[in-house]
Amino acid sequence: MSSKKWVLVFLATVFVLAALLAGLNAAVDPFGAFGDRLLSWFSYDETNNPRVAKLSYLEQHHDEYDSYILGCSSTSSFPVDAFNEAFDARFYNLIMYGADMRDCEKITRYLIEHYEVKNLILNVYLDNGLEYDEESDRLTKSLHYKEDPDTSALSFYTRYLFADPRYALAKLNALRTDTILPQTFDVFDERTGCYDKRVRDAEPIGSAERYLESYPVFADYPHQTLSLPYTEPCMQSVAAIRAMCEEAGVNLTVVAGPVYAAYLKNYQTEDIAAFYRSLAQVTPFWDFSSSSVSCEMRYFYDGTHFRNNVGEMMCARMTGRTDLWLPDDFGTYVTADTPEEYFTDVLSPAALSPDEISAQVPILMYHHLSEDVTNSEMVSPEQFEAQIRALSEAGYTGVSFDELQAYVLRGAPLPEKPVVITFDDGYESNYTLAYPILQKYGMKATIFAIGVSFGKDHYKDTDYAITPHFGAAEAAEMAASGLISIQSHTYDMHQWPPYESGSAVRENILPLPGESEEAYVQALTEDFTRSRALLEDAAGQPVDVLAYPAGQYSTLAQVTLQSLGVHVTLSTNPGVNTVVRGLPQTLYAMLRFGITEDVTPEALLDMIR
Amino acid sequence: MSFASLPFVGLVAAGVILYYLVPKRAQWLLLLAVSMAFYLAGGAKRAVWLVLVAGLTWLAGLLLEKQNARPAPDKTAKTAVRRVKKRICAACLVLCFGLLYLMKYWNFTASALPSAIGDKLPRWDFVVPLGLSYFIFQAAGYVIDVYRGKYPAQKNPLKYGLFVSFFPQMVQGPISRYDQLAPQLLSARGLDWRDLKFGIQLCLWGYFKKLVIADRAAVLVNAVITENCPYGGAVVACGILFYCIQLYCDFSGGIDITRGVARMFGIDMAENFRRPIFATSLTDYWRRWHITLGAWMRDYVFYPLSLSRGFGKISRWARAHIRGTGGKIFATSLATFIVYLIIGVWHGANFRYIAFGLWNGVLITASLLLEKTFLRWKAALHIDDKSAAWRVFMTLRTGLLVFVGRYFTRAPRLRSVFTLLKTTVLHPQPSQLLDGTLLSLGLAKTDFLVVALALAVLLTLECFQERGVHIRPALEKKPGFVQWLAVTALLLAVLLLGVFRAGYIPSGFIYTQF
Repeated sequence: MSSKKWVLVFLATVFVLAALLAGLNAAVDPFGAFGDRLLSWFSYDETNNPRVAKLSYLEQHHDEYDSYILGCSSTSSFPVDAFNEAFDARFYNLIMYGADMRDCEKITRYLIEHYEVKNLILNVYLDNGLEYDEESDRLTKSLHYKEDPDTSALSFYTRYLFADPRYALAKLNALRTDTILPQTFDVFDERTGCYDKRVRDAEPIGSAERYLESYPVFADYPHQTLSLPYTEPCMQSVAAIRAMCEEAGVNLTVVAGPVYAAYLKNYQTEDIAAFYRSLAQVTPFWDFSSSSVSCEMRYFYDGTHFRNNVGEMMCARMTGRTDLWLPDDFGTYVTADTPEEYFTDVLSPAALSPDEISAQVPILMYHHLSEDVTNSEMVSPEQFEAQIRALSEAGYTGVSFDELQAYVLRGAPLPEKPVVITFDDGYESNYTLAYPILQKYGMKATIFAIGVSFGKDHYKDTDYAITPHFGAAEAAEMAASGLISIQSHTYDMHQWPPYESGSAVRENILPLPGESEEAYVQALTEDFTRSRALLEDAAGQPVDVLAYPAGQYSTLAQVTLQSLGVHVTLSTNPGVNTVVRGLPQTLYAMLRFGITEDVTPEALLDMIR
Repeated sequence: MSFASLPFVGLVAAGVILYYLVPKRAQWLLLLAVSMAFYLAGGAKRAVWLVLVAGLTWLAGLLLEKQNARPAPDKTAKTAVRRVKKRICAACLVLCFGLLYLMKYWNFTASALPSAIGDKLPRWDFVVPLGLSYFIFQAAGYVIDVYRGKYPAQKNPLKYGLFVSFFPQMVQGPISRYDQLAPQLLSARGLDWRDLKFGIQLCLWGYFKKLVIADRAAVLVNAVITENCPYGGAVVACGILFYCIQLYCDFSGGIDITRGVARMFGIDMAENFRRPIFATSLTDYWRRWHITLGAWMRDYVFYPLSLSRGFGKISRWARAHIRGTGGKIFATSLATFIVYLIIGVWHGANFRYIAFGLWNGVLITASLLLEKTFLRWKAALHIDDKSAAWRVFMTLRTGLLVFVGRYFTRAPRLRSVFTLLKTTVLHPQPSQLLDGTLLSLGLAKTDFLVVALALAVLLTLECFQERGVHIRPALEKKPGFVQWLAVTALLLAVLLLGVFRAGYIPSGFIYTQF
C-alpha cells in the first residue's frame, strides 16, 4: 500500500469510527442532548444530566406547563399536584441534582424569555452557599447550551456526539431491564419533573428503631465541617431572579425547604443565620429550613431529602390549608423586617415527642368463628367473647381504619388504648356469631371480604361446598350499625388451588410466574376495581383498605393499589404498629396478630401490650 | 493545551493541512502562527516570560555575532573580543537561569533556609509557563553555540522565535539544537505522504503509551505512594514499579507525539529515548533516557567544566596528592558528579531531587573510580563480558538501581523516600499482593490485564528495535489489509482503552452522589 493510500485509508477509518460514535450517541442520546427523538426516555436522560435532559423535554412539552419549580435535589419533594391546585396552575418541577444558584439564574432567564411563565417557586437550600457555578463534570453537570450563555452550541454538541460510548450502551442495556417502578437509572418522573419516589413512598414505616435498621445513615450521621463561602454570589443570583420575575410579571415564591437537623450541625450557627438573613434581605420567603420536622428522621428519605409527604405539608402551610396535620412551628413567612434573633432561635427547634406524633396500634386478625374448632384459623364464639371482654375491660377501644387515617393525615385524636379487630375472607359466622358480640361490647371491627365468595357457599361456579360467606344484605346491615366496615380482600386473588381448573392459580396478590408487569398491573387493577364496586354497592361505604391475601405483597402491588385509592393495606406479620402523624406509610402493610383458639384473654392482653 | 485533548488534535490537523496549502515561502510563518496559537490557548500572561527570554537570547546572539565579525588582527584585540563575548554570554545566561531560578526554585530556597532568614524573604507566586526549563535550555544552548562561533546568529527575530517556540516540543522536550532544527523549520517543502504516514503512526503509538498504559498505571501509583502509605513493602514496590512504567510510557509517549507531529510537517526531531530498559549500566541508562538533556549537559556543562582552568588546577592537585587511578580521574569524576547533581535539581525544586542527583552522581562516580577493581574481579571470576547471562545480569542490576532511584522522584517528600524504602525491605507483607489489596487501588482486573498486554506488545517491539529491526518500514512490506488492521487495532485501543478509560460515571452512581 502506498503511503498516500495508507494515509487516506487511515483518515477514512477515523472518519467512519467518528461517524459511528456520533451516530450511536445521537440516536440513543443518553443525556437527552439531541431531544431523545428515538427512545423518548427522558426519565433516563434526566438521571444522567437533569439540566440538559429537562430542557430538551421542555422544548417539546413546554406548552403543557405554565409554572415552574426550581432548585437543587431537595426541591424534588415540592409537590406539583398540590401546587397546581393551590395556584390553579400547571407546574413542572425543574429540580436538578447539585444545582447551584448560578444554574437557577440562567434557567430562569431562559424560561422567562422562551416559555409562558406564570409562577416560579424557587427553593434556596443551604448547599447553595456551599457551591456556586460548579460544573466539574462536563457531561453530567453542565447546562444545556440554550440556557447557558457561557457554552457554545458547537462545544455542547461535540461533547455529546463524542461522549464515551458506554453511556449509550448502558442506556440500551437499561432498556432491556426497565421496569414500571424506577430503578437507579431512571429516577425522574418525566411528566412532573420530580424524582420518581414511588418505591420509597410505598415502603411501610413504623417505629423509629425499625427505620434506623433500614437507614443506618441516621444513626451514624456523617459529620463534616462545612462553610458557606458562596452566600454572597448565591444571594446576588436570587436577587437577579427576583428582578427578572418582577420585570416579566412572574409570581415568584421563594421557599427554604426543610433541612435535616443533623446536617445543619455541619455548619456554624452564625453562618447559617447569616445565610438566611441575607436571603431575607433579598426577598421574603417561606422558611421551613429548621423546625420540629427537621428533627424527625422518618420525615426524610435520607440525610438530605425530605419526604413528599412533608412537601404536601409545606404546600398546605403556604396556602393556609387546614386539612393536613402540621406541627405549629413548621413554616414561617420571613421578610426583611423579621427580627434579627429569629434567624438564630429557629436553629434550635424542639423535637416532636413520640406521644405528640405517634400512637401504638395493635391489630387482631380473625377468620371464621365456629363451635367446632378444626383448624388454627378458627376461634370459638366463647373464646372470642372472652377475648373481646378482656379487651374492653382492659380499657381498649376498637377503632376503624378511618380513624387511623384521620389520626395520621389530619392529626385527629385516637383513644388512649386503640385496637383494631379484623376478620379475613368474609365468613357468614362473622355476621351470625361475631357481630352480636361486637355489638354487645361496642367494639368496632373491619371485615375483609373476598369478592368471588361474597354471599356464596360453593366455590365460584363449582359444586365444591365451602364454609358459607355473608352477602350484601348482611354487609349492609352491619355497615349501617356504624360498628363494622366491609373492606377488600381482593375480588379473586385468593384462589384455592385444589378447586381451580386452570394451571395459573392466583393464591395471593403476587404476579403469576412469567406474567409481565403490565399484564399483572392490569389484572390487579381490574380485580380491585371489581372488588370495590361490589362491596361499596353492598355496604354503601367507601372501600379504601385491603388486607393482602396470605399477607403476601410486593412494592409493585402496594404502588398499584395506592394509585387506585387504597390508603391502608395489611400484612399478616405479627407486631404492634406505630402510626405516625404526617406519614401515611405507617398505614401500609400493617402488622397483625393472628388470633387462634388457644390465645387466652390474658395472653392476648400480654401480646398486644 | 494537553497532547491528549481534542483542541490539540484539531490544531495539529488544521496546521498540517494549511502547511501544505500556503505558499512555500510562508510555511515557516505558518508554523510560527500555529505555535503562537498553542501558547495563547494556554494563557497570554504565561507567554510573556517566553517572549522575554526569546528576545533576550536573540539579542545576545546578535551581539555575539557582531563581536565574531569584529576584525581582531593581533592577540590583544583577540583577547579583548573574547572578553566582551564572555561578558555578553555570561550576562545573558545569568539573566535566563536567574529567571528560571526565581520562578522554579526561589520559594523552595526560601523555605529551605533557616526560618530566621527564610521567613523574611519574599515569596513569589509566578504562573510558570509550560516547558519553561526546556525553553531556556534550548535558548541557552543557542547562545553558547553562537558564542563558540559554531554557527552564525539568526538575524530574523521571527525565525529565531520559531526555533525556540516550535510548539510540539514545548510540553516535554526534546531539547533541540539550533543547527539541527532551525534549517528544517525554515526550509520550504512539499507534501511527503510517507512523512505524514510515519508522523501519524508515531503519534498513535505515543497516545497508546500515554493514554492506555501510563494513565492507567498512574491510578495505582497515586493510590499507593502517598505521605502516609498504609501498605506493605510488596505493594509499595509494586507502586514504584508502576511508576517506572508510568514515567517511561508518559514521557517517551509524549516525545513520540512530539516527533510524530513534527514529522507530519516534514521535520525530523532528535530522539530522546533509546529503549532504556536494555541499559547495562547507569551511565548507559542516562545515554538512553532523556538523551537530549544528557547531551546538553555534556556539551554545555561537563566539557566546559572539565576543560576550565579551575578544573585543570584541581586535576593537577589530585594527580599529585592521590595515588593511582583515583588521582588521574579525580577531576573527571568530580565533573560527572556535578552534572548528575544538576540533572537531579533540574527535575524540580525539592530535596528529594537533590538526593536523586546525589544517588546517580555517587553511583556513577563510584563506578568510574572502581572500574579497575571491577575489571580485576571479572578476570578473577572468569566472567565473559559478551555472554548473554552477563548482559542479563547487568541489565537487571541497572534496572534495580534505576528502580531504587525512582523512590526519590516519586515519594511525596525526602523523608517518605526513606520510609518507603524501609517498608519495602523490612515489611514486605507479600500476602497483600494476593489478598485483594491490589484490586482495591483503583484498577480493576481488566486494567491489570490491559497494562500487562500493552507492556508485552511494547517490550516485544522494543526487543525487535534493539536488534536493529525498523518496525515501521518492516510493516510497510506487509499486505495492505494487514497494515490497515494494525493501525485500526491501535486506533481502537487508543480510543476505547485510552481516551474513554476514565470519566465514565454509571447512571446509578451519578444519582447516588446526590
